[in-house]
Amino acid sequence: MSHDAALGVPAHSGPAGPAATGPAATGTAPTGEPPAPRRRRPPSAPYLLLVPAVVALLAGLAYPVGKQVVMSVQKYGLEQQFGQPPEFVGLDNFVRIFTDDALWAVVARSVVFCMVNALLTVVVGLALALLMRAVTTPVRLTLQVCLLLAWAMPMVAGVTVFKWLFDYRTGVVNWLLVKVGFDGMAGYSWLSQPMTFFFVATMIIVWMSVPFVALSLYAGLTSVPEEVLEAARIDGASGRQQLWHILLPMVRPVLSIVLLLQIIWDLRVFAQIRLLQDAGAPVSETNLLGNFIYELGMSRQDFGGAAAVSIFVLALTVLLSWPYVRSLMKEDA
Amino acid sequence: MKMLRFAALGVAATLALTACSSSDTPSDDATTAGGEKTAEAAEITLWLAGGDTNDELRQYLKDTFAAENPGSTLTIEEVAWPDLVTKLTTALPDEANTPDVVEIGNTQSPTFTTVGAFRDLTPIYDELGGDKLLQSFVDVGSVDGKNYALPYYFGSRYMFYRKDIWTAAGLEVPKTLSEFSESVAKLKTDTQSGFAMGGQDWRNGISWVFANGGELATVDGTTWTSTLSDPKTIEGLTQWQEVYRTASNLPSTERDVAYWDFLNDGTDGSAPAAATIMAPGWARWSIGDITTNDAGDEVRDGMADDTTFDIFALPGVDGGIAPVFAGGSNIAVSAKSQHPELAENLLRIIFSEEYQTKLGGAGLGPGNSDFVSSLGDDKFATTMIETAAASKLTPAAPGWAAIEGAFVYEELFQKIADGGDVAALATEYDAKLTPMLNGGAAG
Repeated sequence: MSHDAALGVPAHSGPAGPAATGPAATGTAPTGEPPAPRRRRPPSAPYLLLVPAVVALLAGLAYPVGKQVVMSVQKYGLEQQFGQPPEFVGLDNFVRIFTDDALWAVVARSVVFCMVNALLTVVVGLALALLMRAVTTPVRLTLQVCLLLAWAMPMVAGVTVFKWLFDYRTGVVNWLLVKVGFDGMAGYSWLSQPMTFFFVATMIIVWMSVPFVALSLYAGLTSVPEEVLEAARIDGASGRQQLWHILLPMVRPVLSIVLLLQIIWDLRVFAQIRLLQDAGAPVSETNLLGNFIYELGMSRQDFGGAAAVSIFVLALTVLLSWPYVRSLMKEDA
Repeated sequence: MKMLRFAALGVAATLALTACSSSDTPSDDATTAGGEKTAEAAEITLWLAGGDTNDELRQYLKDTFAAENPGSTLTIEEVAWPDLVTKLTTALPDEANTPDVVEIGNTQSPTFTTVGAFRDLTPIYDELGGDKLLQSFVDVGSVDGKNYALPYYFGSRYMFYRKDIWTAAGLEVPKTLSEFSESVAKLKTDTQSGFAMGGQDWRNGISWVFANGGELATVDGTTWTSTLSDPKTIEGLTQWQEVYRTASNLPSTERDVAYWDFLNDGTDGSAPAAATIMAPGWARWSIGDITTNDAGDEVRDGMADDTTFDIFALPGVDGGIAPVFAGGSNIAVSAKSQHPELAENLLRIIFSEEYQTKLGGAGLGPGNSDFVSSLGDDKFATTMIETAAASKLTPAAPGWAAIEGAFVYEELFQKIADGGDVAALATEYDAKLTPMLNGGAAG
């Protein structure tokens, strides 16, 4: 299917986005060189160009999400995985999951963790973007290369290095803290307590996500016209006023989109936590939603319950990101 | 406007990426044979758990299988222990991707045998060894009198210690469990554990429960009950708490620790981090002075210097030997295997005298009791056989693999290690564990 569609529009099959918004611009272009043959007919090209993206989405999402919805209303365990017919149980899975205090503890922990990480990432990213704007080209290039290297670091390798840094026995962090006089930190086990565990996890996630935010925001900042800022300076605006009243409002679309993406990503965080837990941690007190679902489904073979929680997470993601999506749509209209 | 379009494009692209990654199905890169149904020439796959089966044994299996089944080949894939249950759950039901023969932890067997994941091996049971096979392992692999999983190898654990440190402190090999606790408590300093043990390490910790005559769970017919609140179990857990708190410097969250590193001298000849550890027999090869093997790699000499390194079996409460956790695994054929005849041929090789003897030579207890003597007769072999004879299995309950997967005992032991009230924790976790033992999803 997607092959046929791709063959139909070979040149544009990849970047469906710009192609889709393109016709609006060409349609209103007053002097198109090739004379437009049938001006009156509603243009079909935009819809045609949307086809590959829609087909890809349906092919990738429809089956798994559909299966998930079906499984969430079935008693689906290891027996069913090995061929027993699943039994329809209505909303039993949801009732069972939602009346379990463990789920709500995980939800609260995940939402707080997600918000703290998303905000922290955007604040640090914005600071770095402003820094890149202020410094000279060689410094900026160095900074950008460093950010790209951090961004390009494979996640498992990154987490492993952090695990070594914070190792209670051989880690550099404890060694340094002892050297600067905190003797109590010798042999301190960072991953044993939920608070310090999440402190380490936050460092890893922020470190890995900041480059994307910083580079996106920097790209946004470069397109702010210099004349506007010059005018502001002539009117006597301070640096802080320029930031709050000119720069930030002008990059607001980019800012809100990266914040939205960070929220979605940080709510779905899984592998970093799992890898840190492997180094020894109180597992049930450090599970986030992704880890909770994995444990329920893959370790405890309660696939029905895991499907029910997954659907809840989907709803939660939509709920958390809805204000941003709506404001984006309003601005576009 | 321009920026908004850029942003919209970004959303579209990233959401598409998000979608792809979240609908990611577990991708098992299993390379099973194609569609040919002929039993003569095919490729079958054996999944081995962890690295216990060494390269020499693997090569022997491949060569022998190819020689005895002309045209067919055996592919061996290694699965890490923590991933095993997950991978089996997704691969076994899928006839296009299932491994043909799998190794599985002895106590994980019931989880799969009870749902029909394995082929009935009763017809060839006698041919593969019958009554000679280790019966406790045969039992956990059977359902309703039919054999689905058979013993592959057994192991046990005992104590490795620094004889030089113990002797310098004027201590002798302990005769009773309480003598052991006192000795290791004396050996603890700020930089050295008298006995290195992680707080979540329940697989070593349950030895104290077993030694006091306690059980983790009992079965009545088919209904399992968690028995942590039994006075004997509580006594064992309390003694373990005492040992952890007085003798170990390890964090309470540590579980699968490479304890053997603690027994070797540190870098630049500094003192070792522990005077005593508990580990499976093969840990010997990670302990000792550094030497160079035939290939020129730096390796440990396997405790050649017996004035520095030595072993003993964990003593029981009133002397003798304490029961320890019986390690080991079973082997089974997938019910969905496309080449069951070839898979059974592989089992015939595994249960042959030659391979069983080779297992013993590699320090793994062979599944057939006739060949246990192949382990040898040095102190390592005799201690292993002694401790294995006194060892105990964890409950063979249908929900056992789920309990391991959810790290329930790890948490319980951590809370005990942190100084929690043993009786209260036992009651709390009994309530949590009983439904899980019986396979009840999400207690």
